[in-house]
Order: sequence, then C-alpha cells, then structure tokens
Amino acid sequence: MALGKEQMALLYRNLIRADHFDKMMMNRIMQGKLIGFYHPGDGAMAAGVGASTFLGDNDILNPHHRAHGLGYAAGRGIDVGRYLAEHTGKVDGCCGGRSSFHWSFPEKKLYGASGFIGWHFCPVVGWGWASKRKGNQMVLMASGDGSYGQGGAHEAMLFAMNWKLPIVFFCENNGMAIHSTISDMHPMPDISSLAQGYGMPAVVIDGQDVFAVAETVIAAREHALAGKGPTFVEAKTLRLREHDVGTPDLARAEPRDAQYLEELKKRDPVVLATTRVLAEKVLTQKQIDEIYKEAKEEVAAIEKFADDSPIAQPSIEELLAGVYVA
Amino acid sequence: MSEVRELPLVEAIREAYRQEMERDERVFMVGQDIAGGIFPHTKGLVEQFGTDRIVDTPLAEVGMYGTAFGAAMEGFRPIVDFMFAGFFLNAASPILAQTAQFRFIHGSQMSLPMVITAACGAGMRLGNEHAMLVHNMIAQVPGIKVCMPSTPYDAKGLMTAAIRDDNPVAFIWHLGTMMDRGPVPEEPYVVPLGVADVKREGSDVTLVANGFQYKNAEIVADKLAGEISVEIIDPRSFSPLDIDTILKSLEKTGRLVVVDESWESRSTASEIAAQVVDVGFDLLDAPIRRVTIPNIPLPGGHMEPYVAPNPDAIEAAVRDVCR
Ligand SMILES: Cc1ncc(C[n+]2csc(CCOP(=O)(O)OP(=O)(O)O)c2C)c(N)n1
Ligand SMILES: [Mg+2]
Repeated sequence: MALGKEQMALLYRNLIRADHFDKMMMNRIMQGKLIGFYHPGDGAMAAGVGASTFLGDNDILNPHHRAHGLGYAAGRGIDVGRYLAEHTGKVDGCCGGRSSFHWSFPEKKLYGASGFIGWHFCPVVGWGWASKRKGNQMVLMASGDGSYGQGGAHEAMLFAMNWKLPIVFFCENNGMAIHSTISDMHPMPDISSLAQGYGMPAVVIDGQDVFAVAETVIAAREHALAGKGPTFVEAKTLRLREHDVGTPDLARAEPRDAQYLEELKKRDPVVLATTRVLAEKVLTQKQIDEIYKEAKEEVAAIEKFADDSPIAQPSIEELLAGVYVA
Repeated sequence: MSEVRELPLVEAIREAYRQEMERDERVFMVGQDIAGGIFPHTKGLVEQFGTDRIVDTPLAEVGMYGTAFGAAMEGFRPIVDFMFAGFFLNAASPILAQTAQFRFIHGSQMSLPMVITAACGAGMRLGNEHAMLVHNMIAQVPGIKVCMPSTPYDAKGLMTAAIRDDNPVAFIWHLGTMMDRGPVPEEPYVVPLGVADVKREGSDVTLVANGFQYKNAEIVADKLAGEISVEIIDPRSFSPLDIDTILKSLEKTGRLVVVDESWESRSTASEIAAQVVDVGFDLLDAPIRRVTIPNIPLPGGHMEPYVAPNPDAIEAAVRDVCR
C-alpha cells in the first residue's frame, strides 16, 4: 500500500529529528556529557523511524540497541528530554537516573532497553501471547543481525509461529556485530532465511529507505492484527562508524576498508529521503528548512531540560525502598 | 638482581595466555570479537596463534561456551572469554548446573580443564548488567574454582595456574584494575589457587579486600597509618577460600573488616564472617564488619560511587571495629 503525502512528510520529519538526536548524542559523548557508552547510528537511522512511526498506541515496541534506540524514540513520540536526563543520571530521567542507558517508558509500552543483546527474545513471547489474548495490539521486536545468534531467537520464532502470535521480527542487518562481519557469524547472508525453517513469512527490504520500511511494517502489522501470525522483516542497513565511540573500527583484527566506508555514505537515508520528498513534491525546500530548524530547536530544548535537571543521588534508604513493591 | 619489568594488569593476563599457548598446543581461546579485541587482553594473539586457537564465535554465549565445554572433554584446554561478566549469566545453566557438578556426579572419572574469564566491576557507570560481579554466584557451586587478581603479578600467576589446573576455573578481572601497572616477572610462574596473600602487614585490624577494592583498602590503610595499623589480606581466590591466612592474621589483630564488591547477603564477605565465627570466635575482640553493596541492583548513573564499596565506607567500618 502506497503511503500518503502526509505520512511521507511525517516520516521525513521523524527521520530528520532522529538524525539530530544521534548527532546530539555523538557530540555529548565526545564532550564527556553522557553516561556509559554510545553506539552511533550515523547513516542508519531510517530503519527505526520507519518501523515505529505508524505503530498503534497499544502496540509493544522493543527498540534496537543501535543509536540507543533513538530512531524508535523519534517514531514513538518518546519524551527525549527525559531520555537524555536518564542517560546523564538526572532526577528527571525516565528511570530516576539509575539505569544509565537501560531506558524504559512503560506508559508507552516500551518496557526497557538492555545491555544484554538478545535478552528481548525471552519476553517477546509473552508480549505476543498477551497481545493475542487482548486483541487489537501487536509487538514490534527490533534487533540486529548479531542478536539472531542467540538461541533465544529461535525459541521466540518457534513459539511465535506455533501460536500465530502478532509479532513483527524486525531485524536491522548492518552486516556487523562489533568486529565480526555477517559472514563470520551466519552461514546465509539474509538473516530472514532463518524464518523459513519455521514457515514464517519473510521479506528483505532496503533499510536506508524510510518509506519502504514504513510500508512494509504497516503491512506486517496488519497481517499480525488479522490473526495471521508473525512476519520477519529484514531491513538491510549499514554501519558507518565504529561499534561504539572509542572502540577501534575493525573487521576481525583489521581496520575496515576506508574506501568501502566512503561508498556506504552514498546510501545516507537523509539524502535518499530528501531527494524523494522533493521529487514527489511531498515537501518544498522551504518546508524542509523549517523541519531542520525545528529539529535543532527540539535538540536545544532536550539538552536544556536534561542539563537543568539535578543529578540523581538518592540515599541508600530511598534506593532500598525501590527494590520491592511495598 | 635486575629490576623486574612493570606491566599493566591486562598485559600480564595476556602474557599468561601467550606463554601457556606456546607451552601447550591444547590451550585455545574462544569468545566474541577476541581476534579484534574488546579489551586489550587478547591483543595480537590472533596474529601469533591463528584462528584455530583464537576462535571468534557468533553472538551466542551458549554456543560459545559449548565450544569450550565439549572441547575440554576431548582433551583440549579452553579459555572462554565472556567479555563482560554479566554475559556469563546467559550460559549459567551449562556452567553452574553442568560443568561445575559434572565430574562429581559422573563418578569423578572426567576432568574439565577450562578457564572461564570476563571483565566486570563498578566504576564505569554502566549499570548492573555490565558492572555486576558474578564471583559469588559461581563460588556457591562446588566443582568450580573462582579467583580475581588485584595486582598484575597475581594476574599473570593466577591465570597461569587457572590454565594449568585440571578443574574448571572462573578468572574474573575488574575493569578498574585493567591499566594498573606493577612488577611482573618475564618467565612463567604460578600463583596457587586457594592461597590468600598478606599484601600489607599491620597489627590493629585485618582488612580483607580484593580486585579494585584492594586499591580502596590501600587508600584507607595509608590514610590511617600512624593511627590504626591495618593488615590487608587479599584472598585472591573465593573458591577454594583460604580461611587459615585470615585466622592467622586475626590472632594478631582480633578485628576483622571484609570488603566484597557484591551484595551484602550470601557474599564472600558473609562466608568469611561465618567461617571466622565458626572456628575463630575466640580470636575476635569486636563484631565483624562487612563492606558490600547493599541488597539493591547496582544502579548506574551517579550512584555507583556511594552504593559500591568505597574508601569512606571502608574507613568507617575500620574505625567502627577499632573503637
Ligand atoms: C549477551 C551479550 N553478548 C555480547 C554483547 C556485546 N555486544 C554488544 S553489541 C554487540 C553486537 C550487536 O550486533 P547487532 O545485534 O548486529 O547490532 P549492531 O551493533 O550491529 O547494531 C555485542 C556482541 C552483549 N552486549 N550482550
Ligand atoms: Mg549488526
């Protein structure tokens, strides 16, 4: 189903916002104004935006770890001020400043990021089961190519298909996991080929094309809501930079090829989307300039909110009180 | 005698890998991204030993661990690297339920010579998953040994001992000690597992501390010097635990503070306290104090410095038992 112009404009706006969020995080980690690490999403923000922008309010969203989920945050309407406050250990952080980068917004059905890659393949079964019982909701389960090495991925696909659970397995395949290339880790270049063993419908799409991603996920979501079970959507994307800021950019033990990385830059999703919205007269250059201006203002407001919030240093007694439900 | 060369702790570990792999063809390493390296402990090894012995795996802890487990039964001597110790929990079932208890339950016929290693520890504000110390979770299970070095010297010696040991050994190392420099002899040597070390002699109080917390203990001992004479004991191994060295120290001091970067309940600190009360009750002139993480998941953000054991908390405990 083709997207309407309004939908395309919204996707474009969210993509530009997400890109600004990623750049904000890069700047901050370089300046020492972020807690923990940062795994840059540079050149790979389209997949998350496309996958999350048209989810329903009831849908459960598990963000991919790259860019610490900010593409998904942009699409989901997450309060990025509270997100950044969390990532800087502040009182107004979404988890009271105690989670570092393990953010969650349960009220948005975003139950929590984790530093354990592949952890979500466990609860996704229950998210899917509960969604089926309740009806009118589904699960977008995003993760990377690397995460499909986890045995839990196979258990989740087995359960999802056996029980026809309303889950979209959304794989951002950037061909890398830290220093390992896809061919080091998987016998087949397409991760979605794993779904075939379970008889799960699977598609491979261009993850650099925010519009293609959105169209595919909308269709997969409808399939899920119609009771037809899970779909595997593999979005081919790329990794322009090192795995996380400060770690050398290697393929196995060798530096990644500079020329190859230059080639990848031609696939920048912002450039691709801008060309298209202009060509199809979805937006004028003036409107695009306005979107950029607003994104900058939004980032400034986010940073101010987080920076103005006091450092979270509750007493041990207060922390102890948070361990159990009273 | 010529002066002993100094190395950072992480390079001392690497030297043990290198020397033991040169010495014994059966030794190999398996882990994620160890050829390229996440921490420098594996740097340069793939160039020397090739991909048959520096084995990168998919992002799959169970399969990765399984490589080591099965190969050990077949006579190899694997070192399996979990990167961050929290990730070890993904393979907790095969490690704790199988490997550790395997030999005994199968009639003590087989040996499983393998090293399970990972970095961990508070200090980088990464939150519970990455910082979590797992030594006590492992040490509770009989059949697997557990150690953690505090100095580069101990790092090389303990790792060498772990590789040569015919039992599964968990060698955990603290990120806060990674770049600490200290003397490390060039020739291979062993620091025996299950033997504590008196790192500093003193007469008023016995302070047990290990890993990064050993450094905090030294800070406190320096600060109190002239006022309270602190004896620092580094247990080096959590299992087996060398209680005799601690008891011997208590004969002199009569006072005990145990620092353990772990939850207060059911920790090595608790275990040492229990054993001392059991067999050394008469040696005590004061209650035992444990300096640990309160029973809360270790938060990230800005809370690590005061939730994890720290010099202030250690000093307060030492002063308390010396009142
Ligand atoms: C259980 C677990 N094992 C290993 C790691 C270390 N690690 C962090 S990110 C990562 C690679 C993830 O690759 P992928 O899923 O493809 O996502 P990408 O980083 O490429 O976006 C690894 C191995 C981890 N965080 N958790
Ligand atoms: Mg990847």
